[in-house]
Amino acid sequence: MAIPESALSQGSPKVKPESWYSFHVDEAPAGDRVERFLAAFAAILHYGGYRGLLDTYVAALGRCSRCTVSCPIYQVTGDPRDIPCYRTHLLLDVYKRHFSLSGWVRSRFGHGRELTEELVDELAETVWRCNACRRCSLECPLGIDHALLVHLGRYILSMARIAPKALQVSVREQLEGKTRNTSKLPRAALISNLEFLEEELEELLGLPVRFPVDQPGRDMVFFCAVSDYLMEADTLMGNAAVLFAAGDAERWTIGSGNFDAINYGLFYNDWHLERIIGRLMEEVLRLDGRSILIGECGHASRSAKEYVPVFGGDGAYPVQSITEYTYRCLQAGRITLDGRVITERVTYHDPCNMARSGWIVDQPRAVLKSFVKNFVEMEPHGRANYCCGGGGGLVSLDETHEYRMEVAGRLKAEQLRQTRANICVAPCANCKKQLKELVEHYQIPCRVVGLHDLILQALVIPGATDPRQRREYMATQLE
Amino acid sequence: MDAWLELARGPLFAATFLVMVLGLVRQLGMQAVQLVRRRHLLRRARWRVILGDAFSWSLPLGHLVRGTVVLTVVSILFHLGVVLVPLLLADHIAMWERLLGVTLPKLSVGVADLLTIVAIACALLLLAYRTLVPRARALSRPRDYLALVLVVMPMVSGYLAAHPAWNPLPWQMMMLVHLLSAELLFVVIPFSKLSHMVLFPLERLSQTYWQVQPGAGERVAQALLGEEARV
Repeated sequence: MAIPESALSQGSPKVKPESWYSFHVDEAPAGDRVERFLAAFAAILHYGGYRGLLDTYVAALGRCSRCTVSCPIYQVTGDPRDIPCYRTHLLLDVYKRHFSLSGWVRSRFGHGRELTEELVDELAETVWRCNACRRCSLECPLGIDHALLVHLGRYILSMARIAPKALQVSVREQLEGKTRNTSKLPRAALISNLEFLEEELEELLGLPVRFPVDQPGRDMVFFCAVSDYLMEADTLMGNAAVLFAAGDAERWTIGSGNFDAINYGLFYNDWHLERIIGRLMEEVLRLDGRSILIGECGHASRSAKEYVPVFGGDGAYPVQSITEYTYRCLQAGRITLDGRVITERVTYHDPCNMARSGWIVDQPRAVLKSFVKNFVEMEPHGRANYCCGGGGGLVSLDETHEYRMEVAGRLKAEQLRQTRANICVAPCANCKKQLKELVEHYQIPCRVVGLHDLILQALVIPGATDPRQRREYMATQLE
Repeated sequence: MDAWLELARGPLFAATFLVMVLGLVRQLGMQAVQLVRRRHLLRRARWRVILGDAFSWSLPLGHLVRGTVVLTVVSILFHLGVVLVPLLLADHIAMWERLLGVTLPKLSVGVADLLTIVAIACALLLLAYRTLVPRARALSRPRDYLALVLVVMPMVSGYLAAHPAWNPLPWQMMMLVHLLSAELLFVVIPFSKLSHMVLFPLERLSQTYWQVQPGAGERVAQALLGEEARV
């Protein structure tokens, strides 16, 4: 078991938070935050359909404290305010006091917790420091989904204009800005970037592997976290190489109208969530595509997989993650991976948004084990994995760096160190960013890569360079 | 005293039992209304996961995660007594026959005694856990302690009534305490977290709320920020 003893012992937390982390949020004019919060809550209850959920939870919450063992943040801080059930209670108290009959009656007798400025602050702090990894939902005997209430709490807060600035700014650019993506990457930059990647690929493989752009009528329209175009060249080249090797080079395309799969709405706002999903579907429609292919990104995969059918209705485009796609190609014998290339000790980090529901757990392992001889698991892993510590959008907030390193990512770092792996594979843009910062912070001798970074090295393509030569070439490039 | 006992056995029992049944039916009805309202979203729910979780948590032997083993075992033993004894104790079976006309299989006296003692002991452990362990104390509210006491009272009084050697009070007095505490519990159940006795399998349906209602976000934004709502 990978949990450090000292972190588990109750009452002697490993990290004593002197003061709570304060997130940089869009400040609402002082004084009316309570009214704004209640107005947002009322509107969301009226239109959003969350009332049944809250009524159920109010009736059911058992306060048994079992969730304490599942929360990686509570295990590190030992602060009761980090207990998932405690957090859930803050919101339910407000609901009961202000939006239920019994709360109103009780308030006449001086009972119930009235919403105050301080409570708004505490709510904001608790929901924004949560990683939304949903690990606690596995451990609640009554099936309370605390992460769903974090989502709701953040939704209310963000509609009351109390949300981290960086997230708001990114979504504003994505939905209302000129570039229509969270990284403000202009179309021209995308095109030149892809041309550069094509040159790289040609040098690496000796074959002209293309990144098709704006090709109409293709089976798959590809969306990845836009940050991949800036930071994860190997992942993208691996994606294109697999599609090429599987014979699908003419069946996919990137849309230059919208190429960003990031959907922060999943973390904090149903309104944004729906609009961003709408954008994806618009682009597929514009290109007359037939399905959606999501790159290596946990939350983007989950938001598309779960919400394209919700918002797109019965005729919605099918969605698959590139990890699923590669797994299927391997199963069907459409791609071959060379087992002699990767000699390092490799471990796999499950992105919460893929693994928690049990959706993508076995597929990447099957792919990795087919060509990695020295594969080692973290404990716990799969559905019960620990979040990297950057979940719930936190990794995009630079000001949370210290919190992510010292608190949220602490157990993950320990887990990673115990595997003694040289390479950690994480098919998720957010996880990769956080894990890279973690291995640097804790000086763990481990390289963090995407799944397709490794595949790019081991992929056997007729007529292309030998994977072993390719590996040498990539090693020199790395230096 | 006999008149009081008759009252507690007869009309009071029927009335409080009815309150419990109607209260729980109301809880179930509210769930049914929610399900019907959200029926168009339910098709995509992960039914296998929802049902599988509800099943596996019914007897959570598969959930003995480190740090929760003692709590889980104690909870299971506690629930065994709390569920089985009221239903299947010999004297209770006679009562159910008289009241509802159903005949349930009988628990032997020895087993019932054991279950009761174990459940009482577990309840005390749970009470101690809530009081002494910081993480549990931080979450506990007065009604959590109260709920445990309310559940234990009929068990203790029932055990004492059935074992004259231990009973400090006249039998009738103890029986009256037993009946009244059970009736108090009946009234409290549907209005407290104890309603999980029927809601338990349904609470997992809350996972379906991840399925957002299409268009709801837009309407919320317009209501709060006006027609030209911007991020």
